[in-house]
Amino acid sequence: MNHKQDDDSFFIGWADTPAADRRFFLRAGLGLTFGAAAMAGGLAAFQTPPGPGMWNQGAVREWRGIVTGTPYAMLRTLDLGGGPRTALLSCLGKCGVAARIGSLAGKAVVITGSLIQRGRHSMIAVNEMGEWIREDDTPADPSLVFPKPEPLGRISLAGEILDSKCWFGAMRPSEGKVHKSCASLCIRGGIPPAFFARDRANKSALMIMMDGGRPYGYDLLPFLADPVQIDGALSRWGDLLILDAAIGNFERL
Amino acid sequence: MAHGYKAVTWTPFKKRFDAWMLAGVAVYLTGFSAASSLATTDGESFTPVQMLIRATGTLAFLMLTFILCIGPMARLTPRFKPLLYNRRHLGVTTFLIALVHAGLVTLWYHGFSDINPIVSLLVSNPRYDSISGFPFESLGLIALLILFLMAATSHDFWNANLGPGLWKAVHMSVYGAYVLLVAHVALGAIQFEKHPAYVVLLASGAAIVTALQLYSAFFASGPDAKTRPTDGWLEVGSAADIPDSRAIILEPEGAERIAVFRNGNKVHAVSNVCRHQGGPLGEGRIIDGCITCPWHGFQYRPEDGRSPEPFTERISTYETQIRDGIIYVNPRPLAPGTPVTPSLIEEAVR
Repeated sequence: MNHKQDDDSFFIGWADTPAADRRFFLRAGLGLTFGAAAMAGGLAAFQTPPGPGMWNQGAVREWRGIVTGTPYAMLRTLDLGGGPRTALLSCLGKCGVAARIGSLAGKAVVITGSLIQRGRHSMIAVNEMGEWIREDDTPADPSLVFPKPEPLGRISLAGEILDSKCWFGAMRPSEGKVHKSCASLCIRGGIPPAFFARDRANKSALMIMMDGGRPYGYDLLPFLADPVQIDGALSRWGDLLILDAAIGNFERL
Repeated sequence: MAHGYKAVTWTPFKKRFDAWMLAGVAVYLTGFSAASSLATTDGESFTPVQMLIRATGTLAFLMLTFILCIGPMARLTPRFKPLLYNRRHLGVTTFLIALVHAGLVTLWYHGFSDINPIVSLLVSNPRYDSISGFPFESLGLIALLILFLMAATSHDFWNANLGPGLWKAVHMSVYGAYVLLVAHVALGAIQFEKHPAYVVLLASGAAIVTALQLYSAFFASGPDAKTRPTDGWLEVGSAADIPDSRAIILEPEGAERIAVFRNGNKVHAVSNVCRHQGGPLGEGRIIDGCITCPWHGFQYRPEDGRSPEPFTERISTYETQIRDGIIYVNPRPLAPGTPVTPSLIEEAVR
């Protein structure tokens, strides 16, 4: 007879709360509040670190160098310091700007945008509000001419395909299944895909990906953020590592 | 009490309850944000939006887990019945927190492109044929829609217009939402956040809810007696077994439960199901001469099953008789609101 109560308190919402219920709820309220704080602290502290990467969207400036649109939009510049370096280019959102380089490809240009940077990996999000690219009246330093690819051989690595913009710092965190849809939108929009691999010695490398020297089609998208083994040709383009691999050489792990 | 669409009005208890609830929500969100910032080094912090996505997501899961424990806990101890009384405010708040989570996810992960964010949410991950790769976002979206349906119909206006049966059936879908939510977390965040604390939290939350619900369903919510009619009447037991102002609950075979109340020397039998939300009237008491539902305090006169004026709810009544100190009930329900002369307990039995 579970309904029988031994005490005389009987809670009715519209009546005065019995003293026993008031005492219980004071203790329960305090306990739940402290419990909420402890739970929040614990869950937050156990999160996987999101990784480095910075994007100060307010720090818009001009970048000088030589631009290309193939296979992706890139600027080779001295403005990043430390000699000639390559910055990938993107719009402010989830899209690339390769199709908008047009006849400026291979020329000295001035690009207006903000820097997204993770370690030595750089991307410039161009300022689409105004004229974000123009030909530079000043000739570019000869060292900025895009170098020819230097083949490094075939490799087979396990890792994760992600979008370079988010990984460089547009998002933190920017990996894993929770980020898969975002990566899909980015790469569908023209952001260069990248392959992040880590070996047993915890050494990691990020390689910009392409398929036969060209950007991938939409058939790449289902593989994003999944653990995959990729067999492909590695090459060095200046300060970029490029992994050229056909989707037929992907194996989902 | 109710009139028209049977509003359960604001009471001091509800205001105190909501103040505690909102304080708890604020403490959790603030604590999560502060701990996230402290746990990461400079230059490796979460973006504020992604931190808030995680804070609201975990909070919504914890709140829904807690909400689903309230009902069974209220059966284990009457101390939890006040929580039951205000459970809907917790539910609506949980929906709003889940809505913030979903809104931020949709904006952050599915916005800023030329594809409609809702379309992106459903098609960006096409691996519907995989378990580990399943697009968990769609599960969360369905759970959110269920929570929305429940939040939108939580007001007593809908209870009155849909009817308690349909309203209850709609709100039972919360269990479906919880299953979807567990799958959403297991196939989503847990795939990335692999610290055992998250797995333990998800598994223990689901296990506690399941255990409490099963216990409540099979052990704690049964009637006081399952009876077959004798000569067309159900034997309730000795009048001395019913404390004054309380009831015994009977479950006739294949019929609605009956609450047999003792009010002084009078015995009344009414439907055990409150017209408001189906609360167990037999677990209530007679207060100010009225049977009072333990869930929301709805009241009915024991002699005719009608709420006192100006309220209009009615419940079925039943005929009773006492023979040799034993109470019997005619299991055939009378039309709701039908007056019945109470049986009188003799002085010796009292």
